[in-house]
Amino acid sequence: MSDEPTVNEGPDGGEQAAEARNVKVAPAGDGRLKVTVCAGTACVFAGSLAVHDAFVEEVKAAGLDDRVDVAIIGCHGLCSQGPVAVCSDDTFYGRLKPENVKKVVEEHLRDGVPVEKLMYKDPATGEVVRDWHEIGFYKQQTRIALRNVGVIDPESIEECLARGGYEAARLALTEKTPEWVVQCVTDSGIRGRGGAGFSTGTKWSLAAQSPGDEKYLICNGDEGDPGAFMDASIMEGDPHAVLEGMIIASYAIGAHEGYIYVRAEYPNAVKRLTKAIADAEERGLLGDDIFGAGWRFRVHLKLGAGAFVCGEETALIASIEGFRGMPRTRPPYPAVSGLWGKPTNINNVETLANIPWIVAHGAEAYASYGIDKCRGTKAFSLAGKIVNGGLAEVPMGSTLRHLIFNVGGGVKDGREFKAVQLGGPSGGCLPASLLETTIDYESLAATGAIVGSGGMVVVDDQTCMVDLARFFLDFTQKESCGKCVPCRLGTKRMLEILDRIRAGDGREGDIQTLEELAHYIADGTLCALGGTAPNPVLTTIKYFREEYEAHINERRCPAGRCKALITYYIDPEACTGCTLCAKKCPTGVIAGERKQPHVIDVTNCIKCDTCRQVCKFGAVKVRSGIQTPAAVGGEA
Amino acid sequence: MLGMFKAMRTTLRHLPMKKITVQYPEERPRLPERSRGLFRVVIDPASGEPRCRACTLCETNCPVQVIRVNYTSKYQLTAPNVARVATRRVEVQPGIDLKKLQPVLDDYHEHGTGLIAVLQNAQAVYGYLPRAALQEVSLQTGVSLSQIYGVSSFYNQFRLSPIGKRLIDVCHGTACHVAGAQQITEALEEELGVADGKTTKDMEFTLGSVACMGACSQAPVMRIGDQTYGNLTPDKTRKVIRDLMEQVGAKKG
Repeated sequence: MSDEPTVNEGPDGGEQAAEARNVKVAPAGDGRLKVTVCAGTACVFAGSLAVHDAFVEEVKAAGLDDRVDVAIIGCHGLCSQGPVAVCSDDTFYGRLKPENVKKVVEEHLRDGVPVEKLMYKDPATGEVVRDWHEIGFYKQQTRIALRNVGVIDPESIEECLARGGYEAARLALTEKTPEWVVQCVTDSGIRGRGGAGFSTGTKWSLAAQSPGDEKYLICNGDEGDPGAFMDASIMEGDPHAVLEGMIIASYAIGAHEGYIYVRAEYPNAVKRLTKAIADAEERGLLGDDIFGAGWRFRVHLKLGAGAFVCGEETALIASIEGFRGMPRTRPPYPAVSGLWGKPTNINNVETLANIPWIVAHGAEAYASYGIDKCRGTKAFSLAGKIVNGGLAEVPMGSTLRHLIFNVGGGVKDGREFKAVQLGGPSGGCLPASLLETTIDYESLAATGAIVGSGGMVVVDDQTCMVDLARFFLDFTQKESCGKCVPCRLGTKRMLEILDRIRAGDGREGDIQTLEELAHYIADGTLCALGGTAPNPVLTTIKYFREEYEAHINERRCPAGRCKALITYYIDPEACTGCTLCAKKCPTGVIAGERKQPHVIDVTNCIKCDTCRQVCKFGAVKVRSGIQTPAAVGGEA
Repeated sequence: MLGMFKAMRTTLRHLPMKKITVQYPEERPRLPERSRGLFRVVIDPASGEPRCRACTLCETNCPVQVIRVNYTSKYQLTAPNVARVATRRVEVQPGIDLKKLQPVLDDYHEHGTGLIAVLQNAQAVYGYLPRAALQEVSLQTGVSLSQIYGVSSFYNQFRLSPIGKRLIDVCHGTACHVAGAQQITEALEEELGVADGKTTKDMEFTLGSVACMGACSQAPVMRIGDQTYGNLTPDKTRKVIRDLMEQVGAKKG
């Protein structure tokens, strides 16, 4: 993060700003202030740990360490503003750099005047918002699964207990029967948040009814979808919610051993879960006699080893047993014969994180959110070309438009909305015309997409849909376990066709072949990976057929992304001859005198896109569909 | 005459017995719904030994998982074989210190961690999974080497060849892809002179890609060792890697 010009700077000396500057914020409660720095993955990538260290240092330097605490929190949600820091008076600072911290400490924490220059600025109105509750992104959300994520220090069980953590588990274990718990979960109408949307209550009652004393409970934290990070954020931000959900689930179904299966690619989640389990064991919240109710339950952590297919429940079980993670036929379902051949219940991280809230607030409170058969809320990770990228939880039944434009703030850089990709490699791409679709399992399935785990990637007009479909298919092709032939070979053949189309060698009938293969794959595979693998291709063909046709018939990539079909040229009108592109060009194919328009030698251009990205005047352009590009650059 | 009586006797003897032939294809035997016949191990006529080498491939690939290969009883390594493995171990990978593996295996014996955890810990010791280590795991756990190989080649995390001192992971999640992760990888390929997934000759850098790191809002991102980089452009990437190469004195290729 060496040269990162992403601080909220710029002219903001208006009246509102002056007003905000005069606001004095009183320290909360006992006069102590607390600064929490987000240590979610995205913020860490943006350098939040250095910001945290800077806060600790500056607070000490300013002599405030007796009345200011500095702590870390899990993902606060608004990842695109990372690194984020939030003060206990609700002031929100975004895009902090270690060198800005001194200003915050001295002006805000010492003198009580918030630094308005570093606060969040609404991209639409330009208004500065101090209190994070007032930021549109947060205001539009309903946080149930994420209730403590970004609020508590995930490594401190005290903070969790202070916020009412483990109270629901205590209630269930000491006052209620397992049947009551199952009934409560069934009545709440919550469905599996991992993607399939199977009723959690039904699943639990099946597992509870299975005969045998030895049962297992597995928490599925193998969140493999590229572009999805809700489960990671929950495990990193509020690991105790997952543990509490597991305790309640174990009581309901009668399991004494639990496993949390986490991707090894989430080292932070692993670290914090390990600490949470140890803390809970120390306090008797896990162990042989939980809450003195005589309930015995232990949790073990299992690390995945990087296989997407292990998110499928039977593959996950095989992986825990130490085999290749390959799915098997069902029935028998894991509820009857799962881990080590014993009845096993598998729930997703987010599902389990919802359970304590449901038990504490009652099934009706949860069921009051949502529509029809989909009750409650769902967390989504908003990513891609979106203004407010991050973690958002909205009630089921909200429209896509609400989530993308009201919560997400619309498309970045003022570009045009083209499509939204839902549900990762198993999901589909929906165009602007379907933005009014409500988010629930049935409505989305009707469009060809799925709710899936909740990954939502927004793409703008610069993204080629053929390329996007190819990206997902390439992923599923690599991650196919190889057991079912249609999945193993069919995806390979589809990939070859898409590669051909992208290379400009598309043939008449390729689209039909793709559709045909897609149906064979969907029908002829055991697990959901194969069954849904063709979805990205099918939906892009359905909604963006003209793009496929442009590639095949006109040898043109409308979005200007497919390398074989594009050429770069410099617009002589816009070029000021600043020589920046020529300096940055790794192959040295840009020629031109200072203050004279430059020209790209297209025969040796490797199309690395560097020149277009460094040009400050937008003079480097991409042209597609013109076969004689020499004439385009021109000897201007 | 005598022959005819003999034949008649056979016929009469079989007459009251239950018929075992059926009029195929009009009549078909009633087999269990999913029966596909019985398995049989083919014996090699030349040596008299079974041809099956207990590679467990059929076990792995059977869609209904009805095959269990039980190799331990029959193919347990005898003493001379252990010696052969030892010599071969030295031949194959002379530089591998197996003593470092012992704590991992002790942990396995003590706590019963699964095979995957053993392999993960072994990889943490060596940086990759050397063949000698896999053989040692096989000897001490009783899991066949072919099965261990099957598991270690299935999961992306396991590496069967050594990697460079610094592992460069470029994120290729959806958000990063849309933001141009491919261009980042290409820039790195150019600067390092190696293809994606390969290691530079001086063993300084290994260029790799991962599916998603969950830092989508900072896309495109990459990780070099413990250091993370967000909001990359090809140009910025080149600068980072050039600085790093200069720092360690690495050469291209």
